[in-house]
This record gives sequence, C-alpha cells and structure tokens, in this order.
Amino acid sequence: MLLRLDDLRRHFGGVRAVDGVSLEVEKGSIQGLIGPNGAGKTTLVNVVTGYTRMQSGRAWLDDDELTGLPAHRIAGLGIGRTFQNIRLFKDLTAVENVLIGMHVRRRDDTLAQLGTLPFFRREEKSRIEEAYSLLETVGLPRSVGERPADTLPYGDQRRLEIARALALKPRLLILDEPAAGMNPSEKQGTRELIERLNADGLTILLIDHDMRLVMGVCRRVAVLNFGKKIADGTPEEVSTDATVIKAYLGTGGEREVHSAPGATGVDEEREVEEAAASSLAAKEPEKAILDVGELTVSYGAIVAVRGVSFRVAAGEIVALIGANGAGKSTILNTLSGLIRPQSGTAIFDGFDLANARPSAIVRRGLVQVPEGREILARQTVLENLELATWARRDGASVRKRIDEVLKRFPILGERRDLSAGSLSGGEQQMLAIARGLLARPRLLLLDEPSLGLAPQMVDEVFRAIEEIHMEGTTILLVEQNALRALAIADRAYVIETGRILLSGSGDDLLHNPAVRRAYLGG
Amino acid sequence: MMGTNRMATLVWNAKTPFFLNVAVAVLLAGVVGFLVGLPVLRLRGVFLAIATIGFIEALRLGVVLNLPITGEGLGLKHDADPLGGVPIILASLIAVLFIVWRLTKGRLGSAWSAIRQDEIAALSQGIFVARYKMIAFVLSALIASYAGALEAHLNFFVDPGDTQYGVTRAVQVLTFAVLGGSGYVLGPVVGALLVTLLPYIFAGAGDYINIIAGAFLIAVIIFRPQGIVGRGGLAIVRPAWWPRARVNAPSPG
Repeated sequence: MLLRLDDLRRHFGGVRAVDGVSLEVEKGSIQGLIGPNGAGKTTLVNVVTGYTRMQSGRAWLDDDELTGLPAHRIAGLGIGRTFQNIRLFKDLTAVENVLIGMHVRRRDDTLAQLGTLPFFRREEKSRIEEAYSLLETVGLPRSVGERPADTLPYGDQRRLEIARALALKPRLLILDEPAAGMNPSEKQGTRELIERLNADGLTILLIDHDMRLVMGVCRRVAVLNFGKKIADGTPEEVSTDATVIKAYLGTGGEREVHSAPGATGVDEEREVEEAAASSLAAKEPEKAILDVGELTVSYGAIVAVRGVSFRVAAGEIVALIGANGAGKSTILNTLSGLIRPQSGTAIFDGFDLANARPSAIVRRGLVQVPEGREILARQTVLENLELATWARRDGASVRKRIDEVLKRFPILGERRDLSAGSLSGGEQQMLAIARGLLARPRLLLLDEPSLGLAPQMVDEVFRAIEEIHMEGTTILLVEQNALRALAIADRAYVIETGRILLSGSGDDLLHNPAVRRAYLGG
Repeated sequence: MMGTNRMATLVWNAKTPFFLNVAVAVLLAGVVGFLVGLPVLRLRGVFLAIATIGFIEALRLGVVLNLPITGEGLGLKHDADPLGGVPIILASLIAVLFIVWRLTKGRLGSAWSAIRQDEIAALSQGIFVARYKMIAFVLSALIASYAGALEAHLNFFVDPGDTQYGVTRAVQVLTFAVLGGSGYVLGPVVGALLVTLLPYIFAGAGDYINIIAGAFLIAVIIFRPQGIVGRGGLAIVRPAWWPRARVNAPSPG
C-alpha cells in the first residue's frame, strides 16, 4: 500500500468533517473518493496533505509517516496535489509555474546566484527543457509556455495545475475535482490524461463529483458521507450499494430507498432512454409566472448553464435537481440578477429579469434564499430580520410583518435575542427563509435548504417549506437531496452539466432510473 | 523600514570608524528584524503592515524618545562627514540592486514569487513558506538599516520626529513599492524616484502639490494595480452600472 490512513479525525467545532476515516491506496492504482457535497472529501485531502491538522489518527506514505508534518514537508515527501478551485500562480507564465514545482528537487543556489556561475545557467536550461516536456505530458502545446497562467483557457489551467504537481516527481497525485466545470469533451480529455499518467506508473487519488468519470477510471472507489466512510469497493459494488444510493439521493421522508429508481436493475440503459424520452414530453404549464427560455450563462471560459428553458406557474413548487456542479445555483443567481446571462430570456410576470438590478427584482417579489444561508452570525435573530427590512419606509407594518414571521417560526421567536451564529444549522436555515419572507415574495427561490443538515432537521425545514407553499407562495427549489425535493414538488427538472436532462412530475421522476443515473452515473 | 534604521542612531555617537558603525547597525537590525518577524509573520497582508507600523511607533515613542544614547527626543547631531557625499550612496544602491536582482533569479527568488502569488499553492509545491517569508523580512531589515545608516551620516542629523523615521516615513516607503510595482527589483526604485521628484517637477503648483501627487497615486492604483513597472498594460476599469458581456465570478454549481 502506498498511502495508508488510519482512523483520521478532524472536527470543526461541532461539525465532524472527517470522523474516523481509514483508507488504503494501492501502489500504481487509481483510487476514487466520492461523496455528496459537504461529505468531508476536501477536508480529508487537506488533512492528508498537512493543510489542516489532524486531531487524531495516523497516516503513512510508504514507510514515511505523515502524521503531524507540515504541508511543505508532505509535498516534499512526494504527494502532489491540485486544488478544487484552481490555484495557479496567476501572473507567472505556464513554464514558470512548472519550474516552481521543481523547488524541492532543486539545489539551493542562493550564493551561487550572486556569483552568476555559468554552471547554474546550464542547469537552469535543462530545468526549463524539463518544464516544457511536462507541459507536453499533460497535453499542452509548447506555445502556451510563455503565456501568463490566468490567460489560459479553463481546461488548460486544470492541465497546467497537473503539470505543476508532476514537477514534484510525486509518488502520489491527489486530484481534487479535476473535471469540475468542464464540458463533456474536456472531461473525456481529462479522463484520458488520468489514465495515461497512471499507465506511466503514477498512483492517483481522484476526487470528483462526476460519477461517470470516477466510475470509469477507478479500480476502487471509497464513499464518504458526513465525515465517515460508508463504502469502499469496486465501482460496481459501490454504485449498487443501498447506503451509497441513500447518501446521494437523500431520504424521501416516508418514501424509502427500496423505491429508489433503478434499484431493481432491468435493462437499465434502454429504460433510461425511454424514460427520458417520455418525461421530456411532460406538460409545461400554459400560464407561467416565471418563463425561462434558452438561458445560457458562462463564468469566463466555463459555460455553466447551456440553453435551459423551463416555466413555473403560480402556486407550484418546482424543483431543480442534479449533482453538485450541474449549474443549479447559477440558474437561481441569474434569476435574482446576481449574474448576467450570456443569452436567453427570463421573464417574471412580464418583467425582464435578464437586464434588471437585483434590488428591482426583489421589489417585484422574486426573492432568493441563498445557498449556505448567508446570515449575519454576530447579529441577533431579530437584528438579522430587521436588517432585511432596512430599506422599507413603512415602519409599523414592517414591525407587524416581523412579528408574523416570528410566529410562523416559533423557534426563532424564542431565540430572537440570541446571536444567529449560535443557532443550529436547521434554525439558521429557518432564519434565512424567514428573512426571505419579509420581502413579501411571490416567487421564493430556495437554494439547497437541506445542505449540511441532519435528517430530522431536514424534515423540519421541508415541513416549513410546504407550509409556506400552502399559504400561497410559489416556490422554485434547488436541491441535491433529490428524493426529498421530488416528494414535495409538483414538477421537477433534472439538470446535468448545465442542461435539462429530463423533466416531469415529482412522482414520475421519483420512479425514474434516469434520476439515479444523473446522480450516480450508473 | 521596520524601525531598523534606528539602529544607526544607536551607534551614531560612538567615536568608532564609519564602517564599523554601519556594520553594527546592520547586524543589530537583522537581529531585531528576526525577533519581530517571529510573531508578526503569522499575519498577512494589511495586518502585517499594521503590526509592523505599530512596532515602529512603539520603538520610536517608547525607546528612542527616552534613552540618553538616542538623544531623548532632541535628535543627534554630527559635525564631521565621514561619508564623503553622494558617490558612496550611489555605489551602495547599485550593489544592493545587483544582489537583490540576482537573488530573484535563483531558487530563493522563485520561492518568493510563488509565495507572493499564492501561499497555499506554494505550500503544495513543497516550499517552506514561513522560512522564505522570514528570509525576506530579515533581508529587508538589513537593507533598510543600511540605507538608514547612510542617510544618518549624510544628513548630519537624526530627527526623532515622525517624518524621518516614523509612520509617515514608513507609509512613504510603502508608497515607493506600490507605485513603482513590487513585483520587480526596479519597481520600488522608480517609485522612489517619482515620489521624491514629484514636488520638484510640479514646483509651480505650490500647495496643490499634495493634491496632484494624491491624484496620480490613485490613478496608478486604479489603472495599474501592479505598479508602474510590471507585466501587462493598463487595467480596464468598468463602472458597476456598465452592462457586462461576460462575468468572471468563481464557483459554478
């Protein structure tokens, strides 16, 4: 075994980000590490690479113990890594980035530099040559060598980051979501690169949300959820494991996992296609309060949303579901006016959202409860609510509205004078929703309301969402917890890499194998 | 700066040879730089700057204004001119620039430029970030104290007030780097030349010189955030209300 982790533990306050994980990576293999958002994958990588101190447990790379070593020593021992959100040396050229990767292998030439000995210049030349050949290894042409790293296209930046990690001559390469935000052909390229590096003898630990990629290239896959390893085995074993399916699709309240799509496993591929074809024909409402047409949104070179169209009728709960990175939050942020679309239309009750300011959109009654809640942790519950209304002039009715909202969420009423940061995750989510309600929404956008919550808190939050809906608010819900969202949604759209894969009524999709495919790539 | 050229004043009165004065000043400054660096280098960016400035003021108000050896706030005077004028200063400038320029070309320099861009990524390349930051800190203390020692001998007088060795001066030195561009050896030199020469160039502007200098500095920060010396052209500045074709926000999902 090249990498051995024994009972690693890292808690942040009450959050058990890594909770007793043991893992072994065989020399020469590609080991996958997957898990839903917030499962602790990146924390585990940070613990192994020394960025985050482990609280207990031990780790070895071959015979070298990694336990307690600082990050630069661990890198020096031969663990190269890339970062989830690319961390290149942006203003330096591609070649300079790779040269820095050779730091550990390079002899200290500080005094020699003062004398400018020609010998060292020769060494420099061979280093530069090696850097160029590393660029070629990851599939970058020599011509990009002189370009500053941040001027490269997105996919090339990912490749450059891998080249820089290879410059360490690592024994183990850890790739943290190397295919995030890539289009299908770029993903294919990444897959080929990973396989080629492995064929040359490099051991790789691959973390990614794209199941097709992980299941395709890894011989073994470990699954994390809530900081614990819940499965470890071949891709086939893992993708049919009931615990894994549950972790990815979420629990659907009374609907249990045995009804989860595709669990019976007939001729799945055909079934998926048929289901997709039939569901795509599902009826869109005639009269819509929100009408989105061919919406395309990009972040620089990354296209996050590719020509998405959907409608929401007054009084509906509509869910957008899909794996992390599918583009769901981007759609909501575009509707709220936080991001400008590249093309396409978004009309809310006759009002053009694509060119409106966020504040004007809120005044029209389209209100977003953001992912991660975004509450002010040091202010009290009441102050959080009051701040949400500071722009309003009608003081008396605002006061009344706050009282109403506090009555709607009795637990917030009880804790009105506590600082918001001291609330539990579920209570914070309630507060974020309550704050959204103060703006008198006609359409409420909820972004991942169950994120990071324990199951019984998820129950409570979803009960609150249903009650708000009963009171007449239209809801557009974005969720990773698909079974949960489908259980309360009138209709839903399954999003995959920025496209609508299929749509249909909540019930239909709940029994659709394509839903599982979108999540598990099975 | 880091209050280190204060060390020059410590050895001012001693009737020792000039070169010994300077050497002792520089060595003392290096030691002080190291000791200050131990706690202060845990901070980053603007907090590091604030802590350093705090140290300068603490040293000036607490020590320099009270010790007999530093003149107890009246400053120190000297009559002779062991320096022989400007040539030795110019020679020193060239020597220091050469050393720093050579250092940036080697392993040390590549580690520094990695840390400057992204400390976290630098760690992942096996760079001992804390050590290289300390080397930079101590080296700049040495250079600053050398400059301070030369300046003290050139001016015949060490003024304990704010403008020569206090916060005002520290901010001015920081301006040299920001204005000129901190990514290149020549950047701060250009910055220092400009800041020093501006009052002479706009001599006709009288009291308005500060407004002109301020506007110039702001323009550089907006249009050339990397400083005058550096890669790239002018930054394209777009007002917030200007419609944007593309958005460069992070994190999809």
